[in-house]
This record gives sequence, C-alpha cells and structure tokens, in this order.
Amino acid sequence: MFLAWNEIKKNKLRFALIVGVLMLVSYLVFFLSGLATGLASLNREAVDKWDATAIVLTEESDKSLPQSSLTTEEADNIKDNDTATLGQLNSIARNGDAKQNIALFGIDSEEFIMPKVTEGEKFAGDNEVIASDTLKEDGFKLGDELELSSTDEKLTIVGFTDSARFNAAPVLYGDVTTFQKVKFGEGAAENETQINGIVVRGDDFSSISTSNEDLEVIEVEEFIENLPGYTEQALTLNFMIYFLFGISSVIVAIFLYVLTVQKISMFGVMKAQGISNGYLSRSVIAQTFLLAFIGVVVGFALTLISGEFLPSAVPVAFDIPTMIIYGVILIVVAILGAVFSVLTIVKIDPLKAIGG
Amino acid sequence: MAILELNNVKKSFGSGHMKVDALKETNFSAEPGELIAVIGPSGSGKSTFLTVAGGLQTPTSGAILVNNKDLADLNEKQRSKIRLKEIGFILQASNLVPFLNVDNQMKLLDNVKKDNMSKEELNALYDNLGIKELRKKYPADLSGGERQRVAIAKALYSKPSILLADEPTASLDSEKAYEVMELLKKETTQNKTTTIVVTHDTRLIEYCDKVYEMTDGVLKLKETSKKSQAIL
Repeated sequence: MFLAWNEIKKNKLRFALIVGVLMLVSYLVFFLSGLATGLASLNREAVDKWDATAIVLTEESDKSLPQSSLTTEEADNIKDNDTATLGQLNSIARNGDAKQNIALFGIDSEEFIMPKVTEGEKFAGDNEVIASDTLKEDGFKLGDELELSSTDEKLTIVGFTDSARFNAAPVLYGDVTTFQKVKFGEGAAENETQINGIVVRGDDFSSISTSNEDLEVIEVEEFIENLPGYTEQALTLNFMIYFLFGISSVIVAIFLYVLTVQKISMFGVMKAQGISNGYLSRSVIAQTFLLAFIGVVVGFALTLISGEFLPSAVPVAFDIPTMIIYGVILIVVAILGAVFSVLTIVKIDPLKAIGG
Repeated sequence: MAILELNNVKKSFGSGHMKVDALKETNFSAEPGELIAVIGPSGSGKSTFLTVAGGLQTPTSGAILVNNKDLADLNEKQRSKIRLKEIGFILQASNLVPFLNVDNQMKLLDNVKKDNMSKEELNALYDNLGIKELRKKYPADLSGGERQRVAIAKALYSKPSILLADEPTASLDSEKAYEVMELLKKETTQNKTTTIVVTHDTRLIEYCDKVYEMTDGVLKLKETSKKSQAIL
C-alpha cells in the first residue's frame, strides 16, 4: 500500500485518468442496472405486491393472463391454500384531458390481493376503482370519471395505491362485477363467474395443485418471466452489464500493463535490492484496488445524483444491494486485470534491469 | 573472518564453440571494513564479478560464501532475502524509486526489512552525506551527485555487511567523484562494512585498501595500499 499510494500521489493525472475510465464504466453499469430494475418493476410491481406463490391459469393460455379464462368455482379445487380470484383486461382510460393505457384488475375486496389504499378510500360499489398513484403524474386525480376505450361503462377513481403497475400499464383495481361489466357489457350477468386466473398464496409451490387438468399452476416468478417483453428486456440489459464487466477488466489490464512495462527497470532495481515479488505484486494489486474502489464509489455517487435529475418518464429504480454487488464485481474484475502486470513483474530479471 | 569469499568461481555464457568465459576461475575474499576496488576495461568481466558476488546470478561452478552461506545452493527467493539482508547495491543507473521522496526511499526498506538504521543513525548518515536538506525532494529534483549520495544512503540504510558499487562515480565530475569515494571510505570504516567498487576510473584507487585488476575474466590483486600494508 505504501508504494501504491505514494505513486498515485506523485502521478495524480495519470491515475486520475484510470480512475476516470473506471468511474465511467461503473457509472454505465450502475445506470443500466437502474434501468433494468426500473423496467422490471414497471412490469412486475403489481404482481410482487400480491406476495403470492403461484397463479392458476388455463393450460391453453400459455401462461398469459389475458388469454386465460376460467370461473370462480375453480378456486374450490385448490385445497389448503389461500386463493384470490383475478380478472384482468387492458384498456385505454381517459378523463377528458388525459388518456393512458391501463390494466383493469377485477378482484374480491375480501381476498389477499386487495391493495392498501394510500389516498382516498376503498372501492365500495360497482364502477368504483382504486388507481395506481403513477396515474397522478399523468393528470388523473381523485373523483375523476374515466371513459374506457372498449365499453360505455364509466369508472370513478375513489382511491390511489402505490406500486401498482402491471406489464408497463398502471393498474385500476375494481370489484369483479365492475370488471365483468367492462368486459362483457350486456352479457355481464350471465358471465358473472368468468375471471382470468386464480392467485394462490401458500407455504411452498409444490403443495399447490388443482384437480382440473385443463388448468396449470404457474410459479409467480415464472409467470412474470412470461409477461410480454419482460425476459427480453432483462436479458438485453443484463447482457450489456456482463459485457461491461469484461470490458472494464480488459481496460484495467491494458492501462496497468502499460504502466508496468514503463517501470520494468525500476522494478528490476528493487528486485536486485532484494525486495520480493510478493511485495511488488501486492503493491500493484493494492493500487488496482484503490483505483477501482475510488472509481466505483464516484460512479455510484454520480449515478444516484443523476437519478435525482431524471424525468419520471425514465424508468430507473436503484436497487442498492444489486448495485453494491455489481460494484464489488467491478472491483474484482479490475483486480483480475492486474494479474497480467503481476505476471510481468514476476518475470523481470533484476540482472537485465541493472544492465549487468 | 572473511565476510565474502569466492572459491573457484567460474561463470560462462553460451555453450559449445559459442561459449564465453566471462569469469575464469576466481578466488577472492574480503574482510569487514575493507574498501576494495576492481578495475579493468569494459567487457573484462567486472560487472559479472559484481553480480555473481551479489547473488544476482548463479556461478557456473564454485562457491560464493556470504557470511559463510553458499549462495550457489540457494534459489532466487532465498538469494533475494540474502540481498535484502546482507548486501547493499549502488548501481550505475540511479537505483531510486522515482515517485518516492528521499525519506520515503528509506521508509520503503522499513516496509520490507527490519533492523534498519534508527532515526538518529539516519540523521547522522544524512549529515555525513550532506543531504539533510533534500529529505523531502524527489529524485527528479536532484542533481546527479545528489542522487548518487541518496543512493549511497539508501544502500547503507539497511546496514548491509557488503556494499557493492558499480561505477558509483560514472556520472560525476572529478570533484564530486572524490567526494563520493571519501564518503564510501568513511562509511566503510565506521560501520565495518565491506565495500567493493567496480570502476574503470583509476583516479579512485587511492582511496582503496586493495585494488584488483580484471582482464579477460581473470582477477588479479594489483596492489595493496601503503596504509593497509602498514597495518599488516
């Protein structure tokens, strides 16, 4: 650490450049991870809020909630576990000024997927809904009467709840009857048991089964992964992050290698004096650690600061534990990059270095 | 008792008809407190002699005893330890670390080795070498002579039993060269170090107790100074 730190102090510009590059890479990694988290929660936060174990859909729907159609009675075939019925459809809601893509959830207010109201009150009767609070930023407010694109029914916002987006659309929670009136119009009465799926909360996934062979029990995480676009988005961003890990390792390796090659005669003289390979190698590793650590910390701070200034339309959400893990990985790959230089140092022949 | 002994040491490079005997069978011994010069034209094998004696390369045959330990039996890691503990090098090219100031050059040795000079001893050494004012300066800010004196301080700081100097006065004018030799003489006598100076500069001989001459790989005792003869 003594050599490492003194060299950094003496050659501030040189090392500031390396730190700068590492900072930019980590900034990019953190930002991409923020985008990945943000995009993911855009898709899944309403599902996460259920805190459920599984969802039961029809086999033929291929894990797609809107394509699944079953009746409320199926809930009786699922034994020993807490169940909640769920109807879902997508529509466009407008309040006169604003319009927004929404997902309507038809639920039973007595069951566990009923959201906590953060503002206003619960829905009490037909055509009353609790809306995702992100709709407030889109120009919707309490008491708004909403026209839907697919029906003449009008819905009234009586309350707001947080973290309620499903597959990128803000959720409106209403009673199952409200959902059926929107979905079936005149035919609502004869379809009063029609829903899309049954959400199950149990101790473990394997205990959940249904006696109806046309139905499929899907683990919640698997259900999320099958939301349209979800896996593709996540893979794209994660791929970029993994590439950046590789790139930062190579960048550090090149930088340090160039620096080490410049110092070969200096290392040789030190080795001639009897300073061990171990000491010199540890010094290079310590130096890399310092540089990477400073770069990652600055990148981290920069990410959080720029996150504050982003418009809310940008779906970034910073998941600190994930970012810390990525930061540690960045430092580790940087140190792997230093291994090259260590090998070079070990190979230096002190005799050649002193011109013997 | 000899601190450094070379018994029948040979060093050759290459093989077959390309074989070059850089060092022919050499016997040599040095006592504590001696200042010895090895002179000879370039290419005569003096540097080979110095690096073999300093454990920087292994001899082709023969034994090198440093404090009665045979360097030829040791691997590079063990020789590195001996160099650190017993041997100080003053090299032709400055052996200072460019990004450390004078004080930190010494501190680096504290990081890798115990039993170096105490603060008082170091201050006295700085005084002797006249580099007290330079302790916060970096090698790039020093003149050639100053750098050489710092290099000497660095070599002496770890209290080596043997000090090996390769052309320590090469980059200095006569006045500075004499100064450096006087310093080496003083430190050698004071600390009972054995100092071997390899040089082609015959002006320096007068400071030395013994002078060896190297020609084509053969080391020969040339003269013993009057002073040491008187003692004998």
